Amino acid sequence: MEPDRTTEAERTLAQLDRLRDRSARRARGGAWLPALGIAVLLLASSALYQAPFGQLYAIEGEHPYWAGLPDQQRSPVASYLFWFLGVPLLLAGSAWWYRRRARRLGVRTPWPAFAATGLGVLLLLAVIAAVPTSPPPDTLVLIEGPFWPGLLTPLLAPAAMAVALGWVERSRGLVVAGVWIVALSAWLCTVFPLGTVPGWLIGGGPAPGQLAWRPGHYLVLMALPLLAVAAARLVSTRRPGA
Amino acid sequence: MTDPPPHPATALDDVVHQRVRLGILTVLSEIPECRFATLRDELGLTDGNLNRHLRILEDAGLLQVTKGYEGRRPCTWLKLTRAGRAALRAEVSALEQLVARIHAATAPDRRDGVTGCGAG
Repeated sequence: MEPDRTTEAERTLAQLDRLRDRSARRARGGAWLPALGIAVLLLASSALYQAPFGQLYAIEGEHPYWAGLPDQQRSPVASYLFWFLGVPLLLAGSAWWYRRRARRLGVRTPWPAFAATGLGVLLLLAVIAAVPTSPPPDTLVLIEGPFWPGLLTPLLAPAAMAVALGWVERSRGLVVAGVWIVALSAWLCTVFPLGTVPGWLIGGGPAPGQLAWRPGHYLVLMALPLLAVAAARLVSTRRPGA
Repeated sequence: MTDPPPHPATALDDVVHQRVRLGILTVLSEIPECRFATLRDELGLTDGNLNRHLRILEDAGLLQVTKGYEGRRPCTWLKLTRAGRAALRAEVSALEQLVARIHAATAPDRRDGVTGCGAG
């Protein structure tokens, strides 16, 4: 009787695999929109810089970097408003999207964890930035090189949101995309001028080098993995049988 | 002399192994929270049939049932518990071991052109 039992067990396992695959696609078919939203927010933030893709003769990176990256921004207030309105709006849009999906498809996603992470990081940045320091952090961050307060950048909000979305949607791609934004932000915001590469890394001795890229280029680089994951998720959702 | 390892079939859990209940647990292992009607349609069951299996799984602590409203419409949401996830993992693992064991046992027969398995 064992062979029959094997056949049955194999058939059951195959059916479970198909059921699991179908359920996974149904459950995670909504990730593409918030992922796309985070990518669009990152790309749109390039409008906060005076020359997102062009060269400037002199660059002043005012700290904290409310635009995101240490480069000449158009207006610190506009940058501040962009992130502190843009992130909550994106989260509100995502909440609407997930609630609509739950009503239509009968599938709930734990999106509140994603929303809480985005708002939490933003709030934390606002609180840390408001803490009085001595001397006041209104000077340029340069010459001394790596400088941890540079990490006080609103780019951490979309990065944390991507990681949280990856966790909620069980997507390694989104987690990697979030870590990628953190890594680029950590590098770019702790050196000045933008794109400085330590000499030891490029084999040029102690003298640092600098990539000729501008904030817009780096933001595109940050958004690329998110766009790729969003596209892959969208294609998988549209696949027949999904 | 050590005792031979127990046959994988002994690891199959009667509560979980039943076909419909295995399907319920599999769907819920991928969907964080699923509406009753969605699960019913996915598995092609009637309300009564699904209810009966859900009660067994709920009594065993393998899933959590939340009743509420969507607008004025009553709505039931289902969620796998940690024990339910572990039970499903154990069941699938036992099935895989069973298949592997019997494949290993029938391998010489297959080489001789004698297969005991019908087409799956």
